[in-house]
Amino acid sequence: MKAFFRFLYEIIGSPQPPADTPVYRDVIFPNIGLLNLGLSLALVVVFYYVINRAMGVATFNKGRHWGIFFFLNAVLAFIIAIWQANAQQATEHSYIYWLATWNAVLGMLWFFLFSLLLRRGSTNASTTPF
Amino acid sequence: MAAALLLAGCYSREDMKSEDTATVSKTTPSAEEKPAAPAPAASEPTVPEGEQPEAPLARAAIFLEVSGSMEGFMPKPGASAENTRFQQHVAQFLSDVNRSTAVQQKQFFRIKEKPYRDSYQQLSSTVRGGIREPAKSTDIPSVLDTLASHYYEPNTVSVLISDFIYSPKNAGAIPYIKTDITDALNRAGRSDLAVSVYGYTSDFHGTYYPALKSGGAKRANCCDTDIPYYFWVIGPADAVRRFDAALLSKQPAQQAHFGVKYPKPASSLLSKFQNQGSWYYGDAGASKRAAGASYHTVAVSEVSAQQPVEFVLGLNLAPLPALYNDLAYLKANLQLVGVDTDAKITQVFAANDQTRASSGPESGFTHFVKVRLTRMAKAERPLQLVLNNKRPAWINEWTTKNDSNINQAGAKTFAFSSLLDGVEAVTTSEQDSQPVFNIPLILQPAR
Repeated sequence: MKAFFRFLYEIIGSPQPPADTPVYRDVIFPNIGLLNLGLSLALVVVFYYVINRAMGVATFNKGRHWGIFFFLNAVLAFIIAIWQANAQQATEHSYIYWLATWNAVLGMLWFFLFSLLLRRGSTNASTTPF
Repeated sequence: MAAALLLAGCYSREDMKSEDTATVSKTTPSAEEKPAAPAPAASEPTVPEGEQPEAPLARAAIFLEVSGSMEGFMPKPGASAENTRFQQHVAQFLSDVNRSTAVQQKQFFRIKEKPYRDSYQQLSSTVRGGIREPAKSTDIPSVLDTLASHYYEPNTVSVLISDFIYSPKNAGAIPYIKTDITDALNRAGRSDLAVSVYGYTSDFHGTYYPALKSGGAKRANCCDTDIPYYFWVIGPADAVRRFDAALLSKQPAQQAHFGVKYPKPASSLLSKFQNQGSWYYGDAGASKRAAGASYHTVAVSEVSAQQPVEFVLGLNLAPLPALYNDLAYLKANLQLVGVDTDAKITQVFAANDQTRASSGPESGFTHFVKVRLTRMAKAERPLQLVLNNKRPAWINEWTTKNDSNINQAGAKTFAFSSLLDGVEAVTTSEQDSQPVFNIPLILQPAR
């Protein structure tokens, strides 16, 4: 699993500065990777199953409502990456923001994929976003 | 609920212990294949020797030579009441030994034809007040033989204070000085015999007896020049090392050590101290960054002439004698031994206020060695930092072939380097002298 997250996050290049590489590979990448997956899944579940099924809200199932969750997910993914880098005392470097941006992009991807997989189970939003 | 599940999935450094042991066991079979790689010392925690309190030595015996040639060091106080640096220094040293807690039993001896037991007060007053009945002459090999045969016990040392002017019976015996010393020390057949030699100089007011009689007999009312005298600490290697550390570490002396073995000093790579290029700790568990952990594996992700890698190895040499803390000695004798790499030492420097005050791991080290490389092998290779045990330069500078006109020769001792040749022959069993220490490192390409 570590290898998978390492592959995923090193698509944008090796961690910087080089001295922090072990911390990024062994701690930060798996942490933000798992958190990101979990966060996307949680938001998808909240949108399709909590709001649009269990709570039966009928006015929150349009594409723009899905978009709100989509971007909320991206912003949280960005924040999670920066928080993790700081929590693990990674050296301050512009790389952290590139990593956070990449994490946000990946977050959007997960959110989209989970949406495709899980939307059918929703009563009110089974055709959102399309 | 979901959040709790997520957090449980999180990695933290503490959780990773199990994974690390898994990776270690995975890499072990491949480690056997690599060419003559030394076992990485990173896994075993190196406790700095100076920090753990050592048990005191059972006994230290201080021997002061009181032959006529020593009288000039210890002149009887005249009207001028001047004393020599020898008197001040040796009296202070005797006092230091006498109240030291690092030695349980202290014994003091005058050396004439044979050692005579003195009390501290008696010996100290001899040093201060001059020699009462000087011995005719003492023969250095027989003194060394006595010390190595009768005063050699585990956990004890003998300290011989003398001018070490050894005059062979005739000129034909001069080439055999080395052999005489070797035989004298070897007679008792001590396998772990070690000798630490400390050299000092003092003003000298008295009769000087040159070793070479050919150039003229003794010189009264000598000398205009300083005369060297020496402390030789003789005993088992471990006891000598501990005595040196306890009582002679702060002496501003010239020194040389023969057969003394030192524990490997604490060391670690420093990945965030004057580092350059793409490299990081390749040790297992480096991401945990545990306090006090040491690292010895350099994982290089990219290196070329345009993008050289520079790393700094921190060393804590405080438990070693001053000789091995001396920057000039370190610069001349530190050596990197590696294969398939052009790694070179570019800089050796001591800790300064900045490194000591640093919050990083560099604050725990007394010396730093900076290594630069521009190419390396495609696979893992060992790299060793070795401190060679070379005889310090002062020994030859303090040696003269002819001391019959000592004022002209200066502060030198007759055939001193030959004496030490003899010591070295006894204390080093192999042909090659063992290094003071070596620190195995590993250079590996980043995976």
